[in-house]
Amino acid sequence: MRILLNDTSLQLADDSTLAQLLQQQQLTTEGLAVAVNNSIIAKRLWHEYQLQHHDQIQLFQIVTGG
Amino acid sequence: MLTIADTTFHSRLLLGSGKFASPQLMQQTIQASGSQLVTLAIKRLELDKPREDLLTPLRAMKIQLLPNTSGAKTAKEAIFAAELARDALQTHWLKLEIHPDPRYLMPDPIETLLAAEQLVKLGFVVLPYCSADPVLCKRLEQVGCAAVMPLGAAIGSNQGLQTRAMLEIIIEQATVPVIIDAGLGAPSHAAAAMELGAAAVLVNTAIAACQDPVAMAGAFAQAVSAGRIAYKAGLAATQAYAAASSPLTDFLAAL
Repeated sequence: MRILLNDTSLQLADDSTLAQLLQQQQLTTEGLAVAVNNSIIAKRLWHEYQLQHHDQIQLFQIVTGG
Repeated sequence: MLTIADTTFHSRLLLGSGKFASPQLMQQTIQASGSQLVTLAIKRLELDKPREDLLTPLRAMKIQLLPNTSGAKTAKEAIFAAELARDALQTHWLKLEIHPDPRYLMPDPIETLLAAEQLVKLGFVVLPYCSADPVLCKRLEQVGCAAVMPLGAAIGSNQGLQTRAMLEIIIEQATVPVIIDAGLGAPSHAAAAMELGAAAVLVNTAIAACQDPVAMAGAFAQAVSAGRIAYKAGLAATQAYAAASSPLTDFLAAL
């Protein structure tokens, strides 16, 4: 299947979970938040969340700010 | 001791983490400031850029992290940012800020109040950055905000307590901590805010963008303490004319 990760198109195995995608991208979970098709997916669900063809995944991270 | 929601803090100086030249300098400055509440922001991750580990050193300092909703232009966007930040940091503490206008970064009072009400219902400890408007601050308190954070002057402007007269009314009326946020450019501004009876101040640019942030953080910490002690001591009254502090006997007239 193909998904869109922060506007970048990626090919993934059909049964990929969100956690597998993040691992593949070498992302640490601390300070990270994820929305799939504009819905926030809580961290505790990442391991079981099955991605679908054409999902739009947005990643957000904590940065410095006032 | 400063109490916000159910948490107490020794320090009445909140620090913003933006604009530091390096993460190391930010860490050293936080330590020098003694601050126990430090703000952070959230933004879309840029996959092609290297990522610095910002959080491990901050976690080691055992401070309360306070993510903000900077970048949000509406209540809807702020609530989305708040929920992202809550999941990213696993904290329900939030600095709510909604400022659609990029020139002055003035907070939108209507969207801020709408968002605050919903975020409190969603279980957040909401600290809203807001205009120095006594009515708005009261309304924010009534919807359940844990503190109010009226501005002294525009964000990053370093102009000090431009809103002083309104801040006095806000502090007089408040039953939640009043934290003066934005515009404080010098330790003297922070001391003045504390002398008015502010519960705390939040400083970022004045410290992060100065020549020696570590030294300036210490100066702000002392100013905040001094201002607080002065407030508790009760300032002597001001008056229009001189009032002699030495005896004015005319014993020299005979010379």
